[in-house]
Amino acid sequence: MIVKSPQSQWLLSWEKVTFEWEVSWKLKEQPSPNPPTSNPTLFNYKPEGGSDHCGIKLIIGFRVSLLLSFWAATGCAIGLLVGEVLAEMSSRIIDLRSDTVTKPTATMRAAMEAAEVDDDVLAHDPTALRLETEMAKIMGKEAAVFVSSGTMGNLISVLVHCETRGSEVILGDNSHIHLCESGGISTIGAVHPRTVRNNPDGTMDIGLIEAAIRDPQRELIYPTTRLICLENTHGNCGGRCQSIEYTDKVGDLAKKHGLKLHIDGARIFNAATALKVPVDRLVWAADSVSVCLSKGIGAPVGSVIVGSKDFISKARRLRKTLGGGMRQVGILCAAALVAVQENVPKLEEDHRNAKALAAGLNRIKGLKVYVESVETNIIFMDLLEESQLTARELSEKLGQKGILLIAGSSTRIRLVVHHQVTTPDIQYAISCFKGALAGALENGF
Amino acid sequence: MVFQFVDLRSDTVTKPTESMRAAMAAAEVDDDVLVNDPTAFRLESEMARIMGKEAALFVPSGTMGNLISVLVHCETRGSEVILGDNSHIHIYENGGISTIGGVHPRTVRNNPDGTMDIGLIEAAIRDPRGELLYPTTKLICLENTQANCGGRCLSVDYTDKVGELAKKHGLNLHIDGARIFNAATALKVPVDRLVRAADSVSVCLSKGIGAPVGSVIVGSSDFISKARRLRKTLGGGMRQVGVLCAAALVAVQENISKLEEDHRNARALAEGLDQIKGLKVNVASVETNIIYVDFLKDSNSTAEKTSKKLKEQGILLMLESSNRIRLVLHHQVSASDVQYTISCFKSALTGAPEKNGF
Repeated sequence: MIVKSPQSQWLLSWEKVTFEWEVSWKLKEQPSPNPPTSNPTLFNYKPEGGSDHCGIKLIIGFRVSLLLSFWAATGCAIGLLVGEVLAEMSSRIIDLRSDTVTKPTATMRAAMEAAEVDDDVLAHDPTALRLETEMAKIMGKEAAVFVSSGTMGNLISVLVHCETRGSEVILGDNSHIHLCESGGISTIGAVHPRTVRNNPDGTMDIGLIEAAIRDPQRELIYPTTRLICLENTHGNCGGRCQSIEYTDKVGDLAKKHGLKLHIDGARIFNAATALKVPVDRLVWAADSVSVCLSKGIGAPVGSVIVGSKDFISKARRLRKTLGGGMRQVGILCAAALVAVQENVPKLEEDHRNAKALAAGLNRIKGLKVYVESVETNIIFMDLLEESQLTARELSEKLGQKGILLIAGSSTRIRLVVHHQVTTPDIQYAISCFKGALAGALENGF
Repeated sequence: MVFQFVDLRSDTVTKPTESMRAAMAAAEVDDDVLVNDPTAFRLESEMARIMGKEAALFVPSGTMGNLISVLVHCETRGSEVILGDNSHIHIYENGGISTIGGVHPRTVRNNPDGTMDIGLIEAAIRDPRGELLYPTTKLICLENTQANCGGRCLSVDYTDKVGELAKKHGLNLHIDGARIFNAATALKVPVDRLVRAADSVSVCLSKGIGAPVGSVIVGSSDFISKARRLRKTLGGGMRQVGVLCAAALVAVQENISKLEEDHRNARALAEGLDQIKGLKVNVASVETNIIYVDFLKDSNSTAEKTSKKLKEQGILLMLESSNRIRLVLHHQVSASDVQYTISCFKSALTGAPEKNGF
């Protein structure tokens, strides 16, 4: 029997006759000084990602030998277990605001501490080089460059593809680049956007994209279309995936008109996981991809742009111009390497959890979730009139139970699942929603 | 042959110390975009306090620090900024204030000591009556220490004068303070007094202070609020950035007091090299941690050949031109490294056989 939660972990291991547990209460956030060893035991085990969840740690340890104390201690353990569950209910944090909230794990912290570094501007930081080489290989492109954020990844990509003054880019009217990046491609990059309607599934009609491409014969009055941008998964459409077939079609269209194709692949690994396809095949048609490592993959900071050598060379230069040239950046890249190695396989469980959460919430009177459109780790949930609550009111009630989320509008809430939200957390969240909507909050039951 | 590795290319090469690494591994973090990472918050509060300004913002580099500062001060289209013709912003930041920010530069000659003549600055300020033809001057930038002039310090007195000039004409003053702590140390003045006249300062923590990454912009609350927004737009909004800020906090706490020794080492190195036949160093102008070394006509070697020989001895430096090299001292270069360097230069230039580098 194993009971896990973000704040406390017990291992009741019946294989060995000894058992160990660790109880930690989150009383006040404090840094946790010791990275764990590879063999967690009573005195050094830490919950994953929990190094800054653990405040004052109360460690009750019993190392019980074979026969004598075993049964006596079992009774104590069960009593403590029940007490801890009750105590924990009021101090548990389930952060569903975004997958960007993922905190560095113990292995990431250890990697950062030990990272081999050098000045990445004067030379090439060796850990950055390792990460960039690995990401280029994974994504099936010639080269890669580490950047401080997805916003910078997209900004650089658009500006390099559109380096000639008077350029235009075609992108979705509901895309992250267009809505949530401060209009930087224009205000900073002087590139003109031409939006095409995003369908609910995140795609844009191929015919409408083609119709938006500027006719060169009218260049006296038109900017010059240089680039098409896709977003996979599509954040504002609810984490929807774009298929290989669709992506290839858009790539063919781009080639036909001499344009480039950039994919905002902030959550491209989620897409590849959900579609059950190799990620390099998924982005094959793209000239460049911006891949976030600080979202579901869980690194503390950063994204990687991948593309041709020539493209990345220009990207590196523009990165410096924008101020993204960091010195001993291998520290961040070390954590990112761990993230890529360890967390990509966990995305499938995030998707299962998201679907379970969606299904559970949809059964609650007053809520509506389009369960069939939950393909990855993002859920949009609508508050119906009968709920008699606004999104903000519901957020506040749930906040008191330790459930953090973002109210998108007065009636819409977004939830994002990530590897630091477990299956029991999902069940707890559902019960808290139930309680909040039933109008009676009784310890989340 | 005793081989030492001495990296004099720049003070940006400083590697994180044990205490920094431990701090990074243990850092308390949160999503700095959605909320405020607690360690970033601590660093920013501390830096604002140290610099005597209302608020601060951590950024990934000095380039971004300057870019954001210029663009926030010059947020109206059609703006112009006055800065030195030999300044880092003008020469080494890819012209970003223009290519990215749409701001027009107006340069004024930098004197060898890093200053610009106050009269020439004033003459460069655009007359608003000519606005049909002129951009609008919004900002004056100083650089302290002035790197291309050899790490020269701008005094409190000079900075205050430029500040008064700016106020008189309704302009703002930004200081590229990449090495402002070096300046304060060399001038023996409190750093907050040194920058009092400035509306904003960009301070590098990844140079002589030794943090692995980053700079901090300081200024008014309003300015920093706009800076934070522009930082996001440029892509500098990092998530659990407390990891880097933890190291930066250690750097600020531990390494400012080491700068004085860097300056002593720089002077010793400058004096030692100036004594070598064929080399010329303007020792009097070595005020902080940067040294320019010129190769005279009668030298036995060129700058390039000498750099190569020194590299074989483990000494890295920056080749500026066919007859000039730059050396930058930092806390990971010791006094004995300095002696070793001098002897390697000697043997490289006298053609004497290498005897353990001495």
